[in-house]
Amino acid sequence: MEKAIISVLGTDRPGIMAAISRTLSDNGCNIEDVSQTILQTEFAGVVIVSLPEAAALDGIEAALDRALRPMGLSTFARPLDKSVPPAPTAASQPFIVTTMGADRIGLIAGISEVMAAFGANIVNLKAIFRGGEDPRRNTMIYEVDVPVDTDPAAFRKALHARAEELGLALSLQHRNIFDALHRI
Amino acid sequence: MINDQDILATLEMLKVEHLDVRTVTLGISLFDCASDDPDRFMARIREKISGLAAPLVQVCAEVGEKYGIPVVNKRIAVSPLAVAGAPFSAPGFVRIAEALDRTAREVGVDFIGGFSALVEKGFSRGDRALIESLPEALSLTERLCASVNVASTRAGINMDAVYLMGRTIKAAAAASAGADGIACAKLCVFANIPQDIPFMAGAYLGVGEPDAVINIGVSGPGVVKRAIDRARAVEPGLDLGRLSELIKRTAFKVTRAGELIGREVAERLGVPFGVVDLSLAPTPDVGDSVGEIFQSLGLQAIGVPGSTALLALLNDAVKKGGAFASSYVGGLSGAFIPVSEDSNIAEAARSGLLSLEKLEAMTSVCSVGLDMVALPGDVSAETLAAIIADEMAIGVVNKKTTAARLIPVPGKRAGEKAFFGGLLGEATIMPVNGANGDPTFIRLGGRIPAPTQSLVN
Repeated sequence: MEKAIISVLGTDRPGIMAAISRTLSDNGCNIEDVSQTILQTEFAGVVIVSLPEAAALDGIEAALDRALRPMGLSTFARPLDKSVPPAPTAASQPFIVTTMGADRIGLIAGISEVMAAFGANIVNLKAIFRGGEDPRRNTMIYEVDVPVDTDPAAFRKALHARAEELGLALSLQHRNIFDALHRI
Repeated sequence: MINDQDILATLEMLKVEHLDVRTVTLGISLFDCASDDPDRFMARIREKISGLAAPLVQVCAEVGEKYGIPVVNKRIAVSPLAVAGAPFSAPGFVRIAEALDRTAREVGVDFIGGFSALVEKGFSRGDRALIESLPEALSLTERLCASVNVASTRAGINMDAVYLMGRTIKAAAAASAGADGIACAKLCVFANIPQDIPFMAGAYLGVGEPDAVINIGVSGPGVVKRAIDRARAVEPGLDLGRLSELIKRTAFKVTRAGELIGREVAERLGVPFGVVDLSLAPTPDVGDSVGEIFQSLGLQAIGVPGSTALLALLNDAVKKGGAFASSYVGGLSGAFIPVSEDSNIAEAARSGLLSLEKLEAMTSVCSVGLDMVALPGDVSAETLAAIIADEMAIGVVNKKTTAARLIPVPGKRAGEKAFFGGLLGEATIMPVNGANGDPTFIRLGGRIPAPTQSLVN
């Protein structure tokens, strides 16, 4: 069965997900995964669907566009390419990296570059920069999968060195500590 | 995805509220080191302790770093030396004490406990020799801790041992007179001593324990205080039922952190994990104090009327939250109120709001006893013994642990300050009513029989 990934972007308002899902079901598409979030005033949604037999993705994208454009939303769809195998995933351990510090250009670039250099994969990232001195209003929280053969001391040292250059306070902690404290 | 607010709250607990693991204590049995030749015995215990404990400090640092939670103290608790070294005389025990102290320094631990005797029902030869050695052993060493269990709910109170400990504490103070009697700060007299305490000075490895085991002591008074302050700032009308629930939830988190780290340290060392001791253990740092919690809950200071009720609430909530968080709970598990080790409690003692009598009353509802209490240097051995006897009675009748760590500071009077340094802190010397009164009661000796509470079978 063919699959497609569809993204929808635009200013948030009630009814967006209802319009997306109604259009998809009217066209015989089955939603397999969906994730949506709101950044400031903007909606962003990503959906993976399985397509009905012999359906053209172009037609579905056009139907979504007709439904969503009047709501001020942009749609983008592309088929999932099964010929490209997923990147090999090495055995890894989940860590949480948190930074706090005043906003400036290049913070995420600076930190994520160090992670990339160690082969650590960012699986979730939430960053909020609101300016001002309150560190809670200027934070980045990364969930990263760190390959088990990474030298933990070297990774920690590199992240802290980069954070210092960027004027950030950084913590690197295994994810289990948060699970232990906050989950029963 | 973990909730962002949970991540940020955890970071605040670590950075601002002093959340740490107060101690990882490696228990080591010395029974297989037994010998009647002191040199052979010392060689064996050094070999065994060094072998097991060599990686302890490094492993604790690595695990602490992995989770971002520091392990403040690394310690060792050994089998009670009065049993393991039963054939030796007092001078032999002094040599053993020095050997243990050297070994502790070599492996880099803060303290080594277990220079201990269990005499609640009577003395064996080894018990007498070890107790006789205490003044010299504790003043010649830095990291050695000693404890003597003189009472239990099952056995009653060995009043001969209580009197002997009164005299021993006086002698230990005299032997370390130049350092305000610091030898006494490393000596605890117990009723109902648990076999798995990770905290000093009472840590030893009981006879029913495995060959080696990791026990954890958690911390967290600063975390509890801040949680109370935050909640009351948002909702000033919170009643004690809801505040108790808040403390419970906070204790849960603190305990989970301790258990996670303890289990991983145990696994890396290849020894079994024992227990988490759910104690709120303060340090002299501001913001890491049990006394400050009393003020956050609306009392002028620890020691004023209301303090015993408040401590009962606090102790109970800590236990309930901790018991749910950990699969194995042990040790003392409750709130500590060590006078010199908590700068807020030390201040209450200085200002006179906290008296020795009120402190004693509070120990009936918390996990320790008269802990790190500086007393006038001229208090008699009989009065010291009488203070200990009172504390033991509270433990025996209430089927709980109580302890006395009393320091009669040589040459100093009530109101003067004693300085012990580091974690042991400093304290104003508390006055004792009738400090040199009639010694007759204590000199009667014998054993106070076990109460009916002991007849549970």
